[in-house]
Amino acid sequence: MTEIELSLTGSHARAETTIQATQDWERGRVDSASLSAAFREDCDELVDLQRKAGADYISDGQLTTAWQDFLRPITNGFGGLKKGAMVRWYNTNTFYYTPIVEGEISSDGQAIWKKLEHRFVKGGKLRVAVPDPLTFAELAEDRHYGEGEHKLLFAYAEALNAEVRTLEKKGVSYVQFSSPALVARFRKKPLSEEGLERLGEAIKVAKKGTSIRTGFHTYFGDASAYIPQIFDLIPTDDIGFDFTQTDADSLTPTTKGIIAGVSDARTTYLEGVEELRDHVQTIIDRTGSRRVTLAPSADLRYIPRVSADEKLRRLGALKQELTEGGS
Amino acid sequence: MAKAFPTQEIGSLPKFSWRTKPLRGTTLYDEDIAIAKEWGERLEVPGRTDLYKILSKRADFSEKEKKAIVDFALLYAIRMGETAGAKLAKNEGLDLVWSGEQARTEMYETPVSSMKGFEFIGKVRSFDNKYWKMASIRDAPTYKENYHIDELSFTKKHAKRKIKVPVTDAITIMSWSDNHYYTAKWAKEKASPLKRSFNARREFTLDLAKIIRKVIRELIEREGVEEVQIDIPAATQFQSVDDIKLVAESFNETTKGLSATFSVHSCFPPKLGYAILFPHLLDMKKCERYSFEYGNRDTFKRGVDPESRIGFADLKLFKEYGYNKGLGVGVIHIHTDVLPTVSVVRDRVLYSAKVTDLDPASLYINPDCGLRTRSPEVAQKMLDLVVAGAEKARGGLGGN
Repeated sequence: MTEIELSLTGSHARAETTIQATQDWERGRVDSASLSAAFREDCDELVDLQRKAGADYISDGQLTTAWQDFLRPITNGFGGLKKGAMVRWYNTNTFYYTPIVEGEISSDGQAIWKKLEHRFVKGGKLRVAVPDPLTFAELAEDRHYGEGEHKLLFAYAEALNAEVRTLEKKGVSYVQFSSPALVARFRKKPLSEEGLERLGEAIKVAKKGTSIRTGFHTYFGDASAYIPQIFDLIPTDDIGFDFTQTDADSLTPTTKGIIAGVSDARTTYLEGVEELRDHVQTIIDRTGSRRVTLAPSADLRYIPRVSADEKLRRLGALKQELTEGGS
Repeated sequence: MAKAFPTQEIGSLPKFSWRTKPLRGTTLYDEDIAIAKEWGERLEVPGRTDLYKILSKRADFSEKEKKAIVDFALLYAIRMGETAGAKLAKNEGLDLVWSGEQARTEMYETPVSSMKGFEFIGKVRSFDNKYWKMASIRDAPTYKENYHIDELSFTKKHAKRKIKVPVTDAITIMSWSDNHYYTAKWAKEKASPLKRSFNARREFTLDLAKIIRKVIRELIEREGVEEVQIDIPAATQFQSVDDIKLVAESFNETTKGLSATFSVHSCFPPKLGYAILFPHLLDMKKCERYSFEYGNRDTFKRGVDPESRIGFADLKLFKEYGYNKGLGVGVIHIHTDVLPTVSVVRDRVLYSAKVTDLDPASLYINPDCGLRTRSPEVAQKMLDLVVAGAEKARGGLGGN
């Protein structure tokens, strides 16, 4: 029997009140303490919603200004990096500042931990999403290592390892390596098998010396070119797919857990529970996986908060149906 | 002989507090009125004392007064363009001006509000603490009203320079909207997930293109506009080959049967840069000029060498693909208050000429993008730099 779990997989949409607070703060109408209070309240509501929906791991939603873009805690917190040009984040109308690598990449292990909402570590299974080595290496501008992206890939993985160690030590329960870069290739060819193997080695470096549960989540693209190798070469407990891009029929049997991005994070169109259930059933039938984590296809920051919350509730209803019905 | 390195703005300019507060129903303070006066005098805006008189009421403005305030905002913006560079250059003013999109709420919200089928659903974060108000498409979109005709008519009447009207394109409206209606429509089709989502994007885009064509046709036929800039900031958002082909298809569908000078503006591509658009970008049959952002990725170093001008590397693509019409070169990054010197702007201009090998009269110089996110003070400085940098580059032609 397949165990059904539920989790968010990254950054969530800010509430309208928080949006207003950030704009008021920028215009000098409220102070930093008021802004922090707005973020805190927003985060509390999001966590409460996840618990009500039956989430097995809790995300703090990466709502604060520390996460202005997914790379920002890294760009600001790791040694050897500085902020560069503003660039489009994959196929979205959102942007990030390019990390420019101008020296040896280093980490004191605190860059990500310091940006988390620590109050949810105790009593909640906190899940943290971080950029995987490939995404960082492809999006960074390397002015230091040279020789392709390999040195950069492993230098980042080493620095990330210090972060993962801290997260585990502090009580975080789950680290997700988010990898849009693997599948959102657009005009580039899919990574070769050798490249995928190398990425797997880099992830091994990032998690060495830890036993924390990990996932590797791909989104914004079709992962079918990597199936079935991805299950063998990526050393995480769970492998995630964006099923608005990847055909579930391309899946093959695996002993890994599956992060099933079945709810389209890029539109407010709300899939019916029955439609989602059939989709998940195909995933279970194809993989025979012992564990499937219900999830949106990507972060839910690309639609307004009300709709993002509705997507989460719908996944909660799906979990309840699948759990009660037995899969 | 045509002027080398003519200058233009891209579209939006910041809105003054005396423009935004009355329309939000917020009371004006002394400082708001002082700003109106300071800038009114500085720009020598015609009839400005009438504005001061209206603003002195401070609150409870009538609809007629609000309309007058917006009209003055258009005048201030026109004057900002026409006097740009006054302190830095021998010859002030941009060659192509617009009224700063002061009559628009925003480049997406205004057109979407003027079409049927959309429903605003909330704000979405674009970057840092910047958001856009997202609309969801709930039915096939249809034309409701022409959202640029009054703005164009007013600008045409008051501008002393040649004007260019910026119009948001279908790809951008599609990309920034929640594609609810078409996603639901295509969800039932038997096709791969990738094919279904592309079909939903394409059908939405082409339905929008027909509406935008009607809007532009009216601008041409009723107001005789000569130059239209099709704004496609989202040209590089969806990045498959099919999507890039759709960008060109959408442009061709929008301009089909229309007669005017058309240019295209886009900005902030992914890491691959503008290469992602080639060669299909050049399938836009009626495009006379591509105005893209480059300053964002450049250094502040002096020089006309590839290393100093790293941000302008993508310009070589136009030469590689044999393009020989016009370009607009973004020489000022617009999401920072840190400005380059006039000499650096000059070098950026000269490097652009060198790397494209185009006639300098075909190379327009502009900020990277619209300036709405900056303060009026910084925006004015950016326009000053465009005018002064281009002028200095003219002096450097024939030997750097």
